[in-house]
Amino acid sequence: MGAYFKKVYDVARGLVTGLGVTLRHLFLPSITVQYPHEKLSLSDRFRGALAFHPEICISCEMCVRACPSACISLESKRNEETKKKDLSWYKIDFGKCNYCRLCEEVCPTKPKSVHHTKEYELSFTNRNDFVMDWRPDVAQPAGSDFGQIWARFMAQGQKAGINIKSNGSSTPSDPVAF
Amino acid sequence: MARGPWTVTGPWAPSQSAESIRRRYISSALVLAAFLLPLFVLTILVGEPDKYFHQAHGFVTQWVANKGGPDWIGSAILIAVPCMVVLTLIQVLPIFLVWWEMKIAAHIQVRLGPMRVGRFHGVLQTIADGIKLLLKEDLVPAGADRWVHFVAPIVAVAPALVCFAPIPLGHAGLAPVGLDVGLLFVLGVSGLSVIGLLMAGWGSNNKYSMLGGLRAAAQVVSYEIPRVISLLPVVMWAGSLQLGEIMMKQSGAWAGFLPKWFIFYPIVGQISFIIYLISSIAETNRTPFDIAEAESELTSGFHTEYSGMKWAMFFMAEYAYMFLACALGAVLFLGGGNPLHSSLGFIPSYVWFFGKTFFLAFLFIWIRWTYPRLRVDRLMEFCWKFLLPWSLANVAVAGFLFLLRMR
Amino acid sequence: MLSGPSFETKMERVSETEMLLNMGPQHPSTHGVLRVVLKLDGEVVTGAAMDLGYLHRGVEKLAENRTYGQFTILTDRDDYLCAMLNNWSYALAVEKLLKVEIPQRAEYLRVIVGELNRIASHLLFIGTFGIDIGAFTPFLYAFGREREMILDLFEQLCGARITYNYVRIGGVSNDVPDGWVEKARKFVAHMRNCLKEYDDLLSYNPIFMDRTKGIGVLKKEMAISYGVTGPNLRASGVPMDLRKDAPYGIYSKFQFTAAVRQNGDCWDRYMVRRDEIAESCSILDQALEGLVAGEIMGKVPKANLRPPAGESYAQLEGARGVLGVYIVSDGGLSPYRLHLRAPSFINLAMLQDMLKGWKVADVVAILGSIDIVLGEVDR
Repeated sequence: MGAYFKKVYDVARGLVTGLGVTLRHLFLPSITVQYPHEKLSLSDRFRGALAFHPEICISCEMCVRACPSACISLESKRNEETKKKDLSWYKIDFGKCNYCRLCEEVCPTKPKSVHHTKEYELSFTNRNDFVMDWRPDVAQPAGSDFGQIWARFMAQGQKAGINIKSNGSSTPSDPVAF
Repeated sequence: MARGPWTVTGPWAPSQSAESIRRRYISSALVLAAFLLPLFVLTILVGEPDKYFHQAHGFVTQWVANKGGPDWIGSAILIAVPCMVVLTLIQVLPIFLVWWEMKIAAHIQVRLGPMRVGRFHGVLQTIADGIKLLLKEDLVPAGADRWVHFVAPIVAVAPALVCFAPIPLGHAGLAPVGLDVGLLFVLGVSGLSVIGLLMAGWGSNNKYSMLGGLRAAAQVVSYEIPRVISLLPVVMWAGSLQLGEIMMKQSGAWAGFLPKWFIFYPIVGQISFIIYLISSIAETNRTPFDIAEAESELTSGFHTEYSGMKWAMFFMAEYAYMFLACALGAVLFLGGGNPLHSSLGFIPSYVWFFGKTFFLAFLFIWIRWTYPRLRVDRLMEFCWKFLLPWSLANVAVAGFLFLLRMR
Repeated sequence: MLSGPSFETKMERVSETEMLLNMGPQHPSTHGVLRVVLKLDGEVVTGAAMDLGYLHRGVEKLAENRTYGQFTILTDRDDYLCAMLNNWSYALAVEKLLKVEIPQRAEYLRVIVGELNRIASHLLFIGTFGIDIGAFTPFLYAFGREREMILDLFEQLCGARITYNYVRIGGVSNDVPDGWVEKARKFVAHMRNCLKEYDDLLSYNPIFMDRTKGIGVLKKEMAISYGVTGPNLRASGVPMDLRKDAPYGIYSKFQFTAAVRQNGDCWDRYMVRRDEIAESCSILDQALEGLVAGEIMGKVPKANLRPPAGESYAQLEGARGVLGVYIVSDGGLSPYRLHLRAPSFINLAMLQDMLKGWKVADVVAILGSIDIVLGEVDR
């Protein structure tokens, strides 16, 4: 009989302890953020979308060979005056990209002509949009670090009616914009 | 890593700082206070609503009599208006209860929960969800028993609405119908809903649904027994089955300070309340007794194959029963519309009633988001081998105590 | 009346009083796309058959036309909950072929990230096991709070949160950033406090113990004969832990005990993982203390890595059991044949026998307690 009441007491105590834990958490601040309004800061090593800089690229095709999923392709012409290769076009298919940094690691130029950015909001409505195309004769948007990826995002944001500040931020400073 | 001159200085807003969290919490609290305080003052100034109703009713009856109209109109108003008010209340309350559950669950889980719709902490989220459910396609699975599938949600939700008839939503005069067998009526009618769950399980032509329906039937029928027996001491003590009278019996105080609520009756009151709470949670199919839905086992149990408003009706029935269980608990154990102390009597009785009910609802939600789920056979064992003997022993002890006091 | 299409052939016929219940591939608690066909008598399981392969990507075949360096990123996607350990097991196998010396700092970093990733994997187990049993809240604590801290640490270290590509052939890819070691120390201290919280909320919750104690008992003999490894085996009372029994890397330097429980039921499988988190914390303390300065990459050619012809098998203690990688090299740029010994797949095999006689609710508990990752099962 005593053992029975002991058991009932133990079970009740175990249950009440659990209630205590959840009650304590009820008053703790939240660990989540309201995503489009608030964004967590990313580390400097974050492997986001790749950016490319055609003016630095020497068309050595190291990145093409390093890529495990063959998402990088480029074409170049031999320039007879400078004895160097001139880039015709450079394409990255973000639908295939593994975000593994192997291309950035093998890139011989200094600074790296292909490198990861902190851009992670890559969603498109068309499969073809995943293929990013860089050409040396198309100017990079001034003041932007992200090459054409970012320019494209800005254009998309403008279409969607998001208030884009002149500094290139798509983070609306006031939540009313949504 | 060696990086280019393009060190990333981009559009990434800094993570929320401790200060911004604090600011948000304070502003939320201020908005809440700014909204609730005037409301509270207003309720105190207005007082009990039934006196206005009776004045208006007297006026209309007089007016009809003066015009030479039939005299049944007066009594028809007396019945119809409170019923309409309660029906509306029961359909609006789930909207609030669901939002409240979402928020409490979120904060227990250190999340934020709905924050968008309605500006302040997603207060209009459930309304948006309701509109979504209204617009959803109504799917009936191939091979389903169409009529059973169609009728099941109605059978489940109708008793839940009827049950509120004898509940005094404040002092005794605020009950829509002053039934003499009020408690018996509530317990009897609320048991009918399980037929709807069983029909849903059978009519869906889905094995998960059928298992869920069978589990629901077994569970609800079993837990009805300890639930009813746990209420016996209250009835014995009050000497009445009319909910208003049971509530009136609990006005006043023991030893000057302890409110004369049944939950404070030594030993018997607490055991009754705990058994009532446990079996009520089981009756309403909520975790830790949600084996009928059992998301991780039976996907959604009996309402797996329901969508749109049919599903919403099951949902409404669930929350109406949760509110019913809380309201009944408030009336029977926490003194219903009686104030905590007679000096607080200036606050209208329905505020007390709803305060206590929502406190019990908070208990329900708190328990739901803390515990794991019991297994089917252990659930039955718990009912028959633990709750039932304890509630029977409790009735015996209660009888003994009341006999001693009568001497 | 009730019959299943192809599974009648796998199981003996379904009698009049039984029914077939198709659990998965779309089901909340099959942890991915596993399909289990259950034969039920009321709620009691009388037979079970597994159907695998919904997530098959042919990783082993893909290895045959990837270079050695490129294949590391595919091991990330094999068991995506402990990708560091997968990287490491593959790196061990290639290093065995190359006979290359690994710098001490790289070895320490491997131990640190490996143990952190083991904790992350077990935290996810605790969370999802809670959901299987019906408790939603522990998931948000273990998965949403503590595991995110580990992922933040990994993000600062190598830039990715799930697929790290961090442990490379010959060393590791990045050195720790400033202040990372202090952050890791803080996390370890925090993790120890959280274990107490999980105990209060879940481990010693009477309902949880009622649902898991004595359920799905895996006998010691059965576990050994099925080739079960990892926490599932240690829960059955076999103290086999490769970190102890066949130390790889620098594990012989650390003081720790392998977590062992005796009964082999669901609760023991849960508690072994809970204890392992504590053990990993103590290993982490020692490793963070002993982290030496130096190089992080051994002398391995960056491009055109051609290991000598031959074969090698390397194994390590993964979060789910013995993670083995077998490589046959023909001296070329890519492996001639590569095989992954996936512990989840081997642990899953015993499920058919384990499920018999238990209820539907227990099926979920047993399946959850084995802690499979379908990415690794189907490869």
